[in-house]
Amino acid sequence: MTGLIMKDILVMRKTLTSYLFIMVLYAVMALLDIFNFGFIITFVQVMLMVLPITAFAYDEQAKWDRYAMSLPLGRSKVVGARYLFVLVLALCTFSLALFGIAIIYLLQQEDLVEMLLTLMVSASIGLLVPAIILPLNYKLGAERARPYLYTVIFIPVIVVVLLSKLNLLDLSALNALEALSPAFIIGGAALLPLVGLAALFISYLISCRVAAGKEY
Amino acid sequence: MTNCIEIKGLCKSYGDFALKNIDLTLPGGSILGLIGENGAGKTTTIKCILNLIHRDAGEISLLGYDNVREEQLAKQDIGLVLDECFFHDTLRPLDVGKILAPAYREWDQKLFRDYLGKFGLPEKKLIKEFSRGMKMKLSLSAALAHRPKLLILDEATAGLDPVVRDEILDEFLGLIQDEDHAILMSSHIISDLEKVADYIAYIHQGEVVLSDAKDNILDSYGRVGCTAAQLESIDPRDVLRTRRGTFGCEALVKDRSAFARKYPMLLVERTTLEDIMLFVGKGEDK
Repeated sequence: MTGLIMKDILVMRKTLTSYLFIMVLYAVMALLDIFNFGFIITFVQVMLMVLPITAFAYDEQAKWDRYAMSLPLGRSKVVGARYLFVLVLALCTFSLALFGIAIIYLLQQEDLVEMLLTLMVSASIGLLVPAIILPLNYKLGAERARPYLYTVIFIPVIVVVLLSKLNLLDLSALNALEALSPAFIIGGAALLPLVGLAALFISYLISCRVAAGKEY
Repeated sequence: MTNCIEIKGLCKSYGDFALKNIDLTLPGGSILGLIGENGAGKTTTIKCILNLIHRDAGEISLLGYDNVREEQLAKQDIGLVLDECFFHDTLRPLDVGKILAPAYREWDQKLFRDYLGKFGLPEKKLIKEFSRGMKMKLSLSAALAHRPKLLILDEATAGLDPVVRDEILDEFLGLIQDEDHAILMSSHIISDLEKVADYIAYIHQGEVVLSDAKDNILDSYGRVGCTAAQLESIDPRDVLRTRRGTFGCEALVKDRSAFARKYPMLLVERTTLEDIMLFVGKGEDK
């Protein structure tokens, strides 16, 4: 299984290096106060959500699946390797973002709670989106699953924007957050990525079922 | 001597195409050549062997293991080269070693690099810059580096020049010197199979129409060249297939010497696997 994760990293080493470069560039911009940190974290998460789909597209191009399923690993391990790749990516961005937050906090004394909250929420989205997209990739293939990625990302955004425009969204409940202690907020927010992880696990089980029924 | 592959009653239906009751046996220390037209069912059979597709009926045992229940155990000792190179263009040969090493208990990185050297493959060149021959040699190096007992090749020599093919065939012959090792090889290049195969199985429209030792086939089958009138005079039970052309007729017979004794006035010659394929594929029953 480690070999397959290694494969994803090796196949996309150029893409990953350029992403890393962009992340460092953005971190510098955040430090110089050119960009808002929350925006950058969310942007990087979206970029990373696209990576697993790119991995599927590369595999499809090389017809890799047929070969991978012929290896002495079993279908669930081949599927598991892709999920671990997603987790590795999520963990890397999460750690880098945490590191960035620490530096910004030390240098600029910005609101730590807000930054951590943004990170937790975007990390959860970063886990939830692949949880929906990965089984679709196994079921439909990379090309046919790609539109769903945009649907999954943009439809909730459009719905929220529309609701708020029509004054149907009651955001006053969020004001109650201000009354809570920072420790309580961060503690609660830390549970969000756990929900993302649980969703990813359920998604893995679904993908295993899809892969088990598939013919290669 | 153990059988490396045993297939009994294999059936797989796709609606418009079906594999019907395939029985095949590959004894250790030998090469089985799978021949047949495009779409005859060779690749489908290989996919069933590798459990890439779900069979409808039948049993397959690989190196004594059931190919579904004990799939991982069986695949540890199988090397695979399919008709395409499945490695991504952005990888390099050394990357392939890193990817496959954790999958096989017996992976030998040194042996892998030895094969790369032997086949003249640059270790750090991108695969997208490789020619088709180089890609096949890379696939073969990857398939041999864990010292497999069973090698499965699906059209692996297609599109290669005769020099490269000969080099690869030599490698195969070396591998089966060990009685525990065997090779299943599907190919359109009949001359390759005539050179190295011990057994031949001919799949036609999803059925095995001929399965025997290659020498038995070549020693006993015969081709009769005759006129239409002469063909009419032959007992239909004595010929398998016939072909009628503008300049004469031909017939395929199963027992060349028996036919020559019964019809001394007709000339019966040795035949080739390619001829047999043409008789079955394009000929007709008498």
